[in-house]
Amino acid sequence: MADQYNIADEIITGTQDVFSTMLMVDLVSEAAIENQKCRVKSNLTSMIGLGGGVKGVLAIHCPASAAKAITGAFLGMEVDELNDDVKDAIGEIANMVAGNLKVACAKRDIDVKLAIPTSIVGESFSVSGMVDAKLVIVPFKMAEEIFWVELMYVVTG
Amino acid sequence: MELSDKIIEAAKEIFSTMVMMEISVCGDHLSTSLPLTESISGVIGLAGTHKGVLAIHIPYKVAMAITSSFLGMDVDEINEDVEDAVGELANMLGGNVKSILSEKGRDIDLSLPSTITGRQYDFQPTKEAERIIIPFQCDAGEFTIDLQLEK
Repeated sequence: MADQYNIADEIITGTQDVFSTMLMVDLVSEAAIENQKCRVKSNLTSMIGLGGGVKGVLAIHCPASAAKAITGAFLGMEVDELNDDVKDAIGEIANMVAGNLKVACAKRDIDVKLAIPTSIVGESFSVSGMVDAKLVIVPFKMAEEIFWVELMYVVTG
Repeated sequence: MELSDKIIEAAKEIFSTMVMMEISVCGDHLSTSLPLTESISGVIGLAGTHKGVLAIHIPYKVAMAITSSFLGMDVDEINEDVEDAVGELANMLGGNVKSILSEKGRDIDLSLPSTITGRQYDFQPTKEAERIIIPFQCDAGEFTIDLQLEK
């Protein structure tokens, strides 16, 4: 799991799997960006901590329109503002993607535990890890919308 | 002793020994948060027998003062030093909460600390969680400590 190329792949397959199974959506991923602070424009970020064999944070960063579109596909209803349904939906997706990463780690005998998701909503905010953390961020496209899945992590054992 | 009292004790100790600041509770505990403006939040997840999130929400001015005291150097902008200091505070508080919740902190793992910095943002739990927000004050101003635990 120290191989960053594999981690980007795991993020891609983990996310695509959640979207195709739960939202019936085929996601297109773009090239992963590694170890660069990526200034994404997010209006809603859901993040979930990982502990144990990998110490990290998985975050899904969405511009407002993407968050609403994803929630619409997930819940089968139109959403026109970043309300509790949207926070819960993106939080649940973050939980499921993190769950897929946990399973991928388990296959490599790395035991990862998940915390609970939290959501940050706003017009102007940014999320950072600690200086020595590795960063992998993958942009995804869903029709006209773009959003990012980011993993900040250190490998502990 | 109630969980909130233990958290208050832990926070006071961390601030007094590591940050060289005396802090005190300055209001009633809350269970929902107000929107945060010009603030930085240090966040850390707890996973294992207890699942949750611990956050410390600090206005920019107070965060710079805390960082200056913590690092022993003058800080006058929100930079990586401030982000790291706030993340480290969340880490230390998380470590104490771990020990409060489970004997010797066994069976609970901490995630990587992260920070959120922004002009205006809302920090919300997603799942059903019990939440306690404790307001504190120090010489430089007020901040809050926010613990969410899965029911």
